[in-house]
Amino acid sequence: MVAQVVVSGILSGALYAMVALGLALIFGVMRVINVAHGPLLMLGAYATYFLYSMTGVNPYLTLPVTMALLFVLGMLLERTLIYRVVDAPELSSLLLTFGISIALVNIAQLLFTSDLRAVEYLTGSWLVGPVALSKSRVVAFVVASALTAGAFLFLRSTKLGKAIRATSQSREVAMVCGIDVGRIHLITFGLAAALAAAGGTLISVIVAIQPEMGQIWTFKSFLVIVLGGAGNYPGALLGGMLLGLIEQLASLVLTTQLSEAVAYVLLVLVLLIRPTGLLGGRQV
Amino acid sequence: MVAGAAAAVYPLVGTGYGVRALLQMFMWIALAGSWNLISGLTGYVSFGHVAFFGAGAYTTAILVTDAGWPWLPGALAGGVAACLLALLIGYPCLRLKGPYFAIAMLGLNEVLRALVSYFEGLTGGGSGLSLPTLQATERVYYVMGATAAAVTLVTYLIVTSRFGLRLMTIREDEVAAEAMGIDTFRHKLYAFLLSAAGPGIVGGLAARDQGYIEPISVFPLVTTITMIVMVLFGGKGTVWGPVLGAIVLFVAQELVWARFPYYHQLLFGAIIVAVVLLMPRGVLGVLQQKYRLPRTI
Amino acid sequence: MKAPPVLTVEGVRKSFGGVVAVNAVSLALERGRIYGLIGPNGSGKTTLFNCITGVERPDAGRIVLNGEHIDGMPPYRIAQRGVGRTFQVIRVFPELTALENLLVVTRGSAAAAEARALELLRFVKLERLRGEYAGNLSYGQQKLVEFVRMLMRDPSLVLLDEPAAGVNRTLLNDLLDAVKDLRDHGKTILLVEHDMKVVMGLCETVFVLDHGEKIAEGPPGLIQSDERVIEAYFGR
Repeated sequence: MVAQVVVSGILSGALYAMVALGLALIFGVMRVINVAHGPLLMLGAYATYFLYSMTGVNPYLTLPVTMALLFVLGMLLERTLIYRVVDAPELSSLLLTFGISIALVNIAQLLFTSDLRAVEYLTGSWLVGPVALSKSRVVAFVVASALTAGAFLFLRSTKLGKAIRATSQSREVAMVCGIDVGRIHLITFGLAAALAAAGGTLISVIVAIQPEMGQIWTFKSFLVIVLGGAGNYPGALLGGMLLGLIEQLASLVLTTQLSEAVAYVLLVLVLLIRPTGLLGGRQV
Repeated sequence: MVAGAAAAVYPLVGTGYGVRALLQMFMWIALAGSWNLISGLTGYVSFGHVAFFGAGAYTTAILVTDAGWPWLPGALAGGVAACLLALLIGYPCLRLKGPYFAIAMLGLNEVLRALVSYFEGLTGGGSGLSLPTLQATERVYYVMGATAAAVTLVTYLIVTSRFGLRLMTIREDEVAAEAMGIDTFRHKLYAFLLSAAGPGIVGGLAARDQGYIEPISVFPLVTTITMIVMVLFGGKGTVWGPVLGAIVLFVAQELVWARFPYYHQLLFGAIIVAVVLLMPRGVLGVLQQKYRLPRTI
Repeated sequence: MKAPPVLTVEGVRKSFGGVVAVNAVSLALERGRIYGLIGPNGSGKTTLFNCITGVERPDAGRIVLNGEHIDGMPPYRIAQRGVGRTFQVIRVFPELTALENLLVVTRGSAAAAEARALELLRFVKLERLRGEYAGNLSYGQQKLVEFVRMLMRDPSLVLLDEPAAGVNRTLLNDLLDAVKDLRDHGKTILLVEHDMKVVMGLCETVFVLDHGEKIAEGPPGLIQSDERVIEAYFGR
């Protein structure tokens, strides 16, 4: 029983970490709190659904397409709306992305209706000893881990990645070094949207899709960042795992609804006791 | 003054529909004005404010159905319950810096909805609670109107006091405020408690008037969104801004958007985006700046 | 018998992540004197300031103000105990008027507060601008407002963070005269400053920080010729 819970926690942990990484990047690089992160994930899920129902192609293969689509959408949002609140007090970006998020959800409701959709591709589980591993969750774990690892590699080794990290640490210094900060913001937001879209794709095979599915993801992503430490990107990994484990453990004892309340209480507790996150990071 | 007198007399001459509509408008004025007390004055954005509305509604409903309370004390008790909830939540959450507080409030809605479903025995869970019917829309109308007036009056008193100035310093520069000896936490908490009372009472009144509540009807995100849009549009941090926003948007809602119910949130989202980008001070805020009007506007 | 120091800092340490910003710094401030705190960029001056005012909590060490431990106290309480400070980057409340900026600081009788606020504004010749939003004032005027706002509570310890920054000569002289005036009234002043002329001309004792450690302490004349100080500023 415990083994099952631990494994489930780890499986979801990677997914949480990947989606949260995008949010962490936006906050770290642009000091913008993107409340619309969840809806971006939702759009990724819908994109996958439609690609799958129209072409029948393996949704895991259309992942790059979905990511590219949302990458572009992310950049579009940044270039038209977000860039204007990058230097404003954080309150403004909060309200702005909040407005964007409810607009996106409503648009989804209009275009797709609130009927539940699902991508019926990979069902069933593998049995490994006493533990049942849902196939779609395992694949999600593998893909999410790969993408997250890829993202870290990108941030660490490529010129663009390093520029992003530099901007995240100090925008002034980055500018002095000749980095086009505006372009960095554009790409960061697009990248974060792409990561969220990937999350949406992977999730679309696991749970039902509906326009409001993203909301809880926004909240959980924040929780992950808080757990791991704002601005501490590797911390997001740990935070994701932690959240996954705690959630699964809580669901052993409480009903699923209450386990969401647990996530909430956890957030408040961590913020109170150790606002810089468990691994230490920047304080907001 | 004139408006007040007109409003007082209206139920005698107006139609049933008209009375209900005005009742709703008063409710929104009270809600928007209350949200303004915390978010407009201190800059601490409360994304979960509808929680207080729902708490008031459920408290009143339970007191009326299970304990046989009359509706007016029930509604007031709803206000008290909302304040207690605000104390419970505010005490830990207001120690967080502004943006983190907002994030914490985001999740509040969901948690409360979950809790209501969990304590089914008391709250009727997902199937909701029914209250005995009430043929007193007019009386509710007056109390609602009184609440709206009270909230506006309280806002005026605060804005013209040093307490209000201190709240504003939290919005302007919390670090400097602390350095000047202002206990920002206590001030935020007071403002938060005050801002919960209105929605609590109004929630109780609304429950009484509707006769039936269920988790979705009293904890809807759209209520918080509407509160936010009204205050942002009218002018956050001003006295009459929320009133203006409530009236304008409520009327617009009734006239136009009732015909396009599915575009509701989209339009509100668009308004929020537009206001934040183009008119962050809201209508009255812009007028205040341009014509150097006193802050009590 | 000598009066006890107004402020003692004993062995205060503060690190951020892996970086030690302040490393076992100790100093004592006597009543009615002007002290300077200097050091190259990154030497820990602002962090030390922040520890004294409660914005940062020291990892180790003690800070005692007029006999009372203030390390670990929240900033507002330290301010209420009689510590006033100005900031490196001016922090007036832009949407409050100059008068309101001052009024907001005190409690108690509104009339008394207003009287005192007007008196202070008159002191810096800004009385006619009392109804102007602080955000609309010039840099120099904001600096003065911030300065007298700090005086509203009549602090016994005054901390000034780079008071000369961005200020023209005339205004600077007025400010310095005001500081000397405060000292003559028995207040204790500690200022962080990069402008050496100001420090040398105004301060009676100077502390020098480098890489978080106190490397020298003494009258300005001695400090100027101290080898370690010169090394710290001009490299090893």
